[in-house]
Amino acid sequence: MMNLLVIKEQLRKFYSKADSYLNPAIKFISTLFIFYMINTHLGFNPKLTQVNIMVIGSFVCAFLPVSFISLVTGIVAVLQIFFVSKILAIVAAVILIIMYCMFLRFTPKYSFAVLAIPILFLLKIPYCIPILLGMIGTPIAVLPVSCGVVVFYLFSAIKESVLATNGNSVEDIFNVYRIVIDSLVNNKEMLSAILIFSVVMLVTYIVRKQSFDHAFEAGIVVGTCVSIIGFLIGGLGFDIYKNIGSIVIGNAVSGVLVYIIWFFRLSLDYTTVEKLQFEDDDYYYYVKAVPKMAITAPEKNIKRINPQKTNENTMNLQDVIQKGYSQDEIYQNRELEDDFDENNLGERK
Amino acid sequence: MLNEKKIRIMSRLASYEKKENQENFKRFGYYKSDYIRYNLLKTIVSVTIGYILILGLLVFYNAEFLITNAATLNYKAVIGKALAVYLILLIIYIIGTIVMYSLKYDKAHKFVKKYFRMLGVLRKFYKDEAEQK
Repeated sequence: MMNLLVIKEQLRKFYSKADSYLNPAIKFISTLFIFYMINTHLGFNPKLTQVNIMVIGSFVCAFLPVSFISLVTGIVAVLQIFFVSKILAIVAAVILIIMYCMFLRFTPKYSFAVLAIPILFLLKIPYCIPILLGMIGTPIAVLPVSCGVVVFYLFSAIKESVLATNGNSVEDIFNVYRIVIDSLVNNKEMLSAILIFSVVMLVTYIVRKQSFDHAFEAGIVVGTCVSIIGFLIGGLGFDIYKNIGSIVIGNAVSGVLVYIIWFFRLSLDYTTVEKLQFEDDDYYYYVKAVPKMAITAPEKNIKRINPQKTNENTMNLQDVIQKGYSQDEIYQNRELEDDFDENNLGERK
Repeated sequence: MLNEKKIRIMSRLASYEKKENQENFKRFGYYKSDYIRYNLLKTIVSVTIGYILILGLLVFYNAEFLITNAATLNYKAVIGKALAVYLILLIIYIIGTIVMYSLKYDKAHKFVKKYFRMLGVLRKFYKDEAEQK
């Protein structure tokens, strides 16, 4: 545990020093990964799937706010669908606009959840977002979490219907549209996921707000347990979910991930270096305010089982400093000590 | 000569004025009632747009039924129903907006109060400096 705390402090120190480079780098890598995931699952347009376009797009996104990255990703996904079915692209765009108008405009701070949940669904660990938002957010974050779940099932339904149908007649278009809407509205899996995620988020939030010791850890554990129980009820009781094993493993992994994020909480902690700029009548000031951080050095407690007998000839360093022994006196003492050791060794031999 | 105390006060003020806190100053630029009314207006517009789009999706979904029953459809009842749902939705959103934005305004008020207190400290510093000279 102590080692982990030391690593944490070192990481925080490193992060506070290099946050101006690290933040764009993290954004670049995550956006590239998101584009890669979109292209793997909705890669209909060969122009958009090109590596250089992905890299340029990610590079631009690295310097933009998170809410803007969500917008760009939404546009890319819609453009991918537009290549194969114009009507479905319009439907997807309209549903995304409805979500923004009705829900997401009230929670711009948590807009990353709309993006993160579909991506993490593909990685089989979407359960970490409700727990994480329960830990760091407010109950209103239920809205982006629910929207994220809808986005995942919307694009899954669109992908399935695009692959299943080929016709371009008006009737075909109507049919495809109906299939998508039906599979969204009557999707028990989606509705129960929204319900479970909302409950998990609220329970985690309530537990971590309590004043008892280790409320944060308890929040993560309770959130993970509620999530597992919720999905087990959905899977075994109502037969909604089939891969119970992967859901349980995913939940456990999510719980561990949230604990790691909470433990290190680099980006969530606002104790980073502040760069300020101001002026008065005489000077321009460029101030770099570095927060004082407690560096936890590993404490070593030596517990002596057999009390060690102090040698009359050994000198304590503190005594040397306090009493102000001269160099000769110290050497004299050291020689006596060496003689004593040699005699002892001789006796042993 | 650089004055350490002055730099400390000004740094604190500059950190208050940072980009992520600008929203608080913007909010405080309004009267509370005006701020809530302005956001109510934005909410009503966005909910109306969202609701119109939902209606559009519903009409498109039921297009076949609507075309075949265009002559016999009870338009008054359908429009009345749509308006009733819209009004209920609007009332919920209006209540939510009033609560949410009044809380946000109160938070901004507290923040700006702190900022002005700090400004007062700087003013006092300048006054003392002028007296010393």
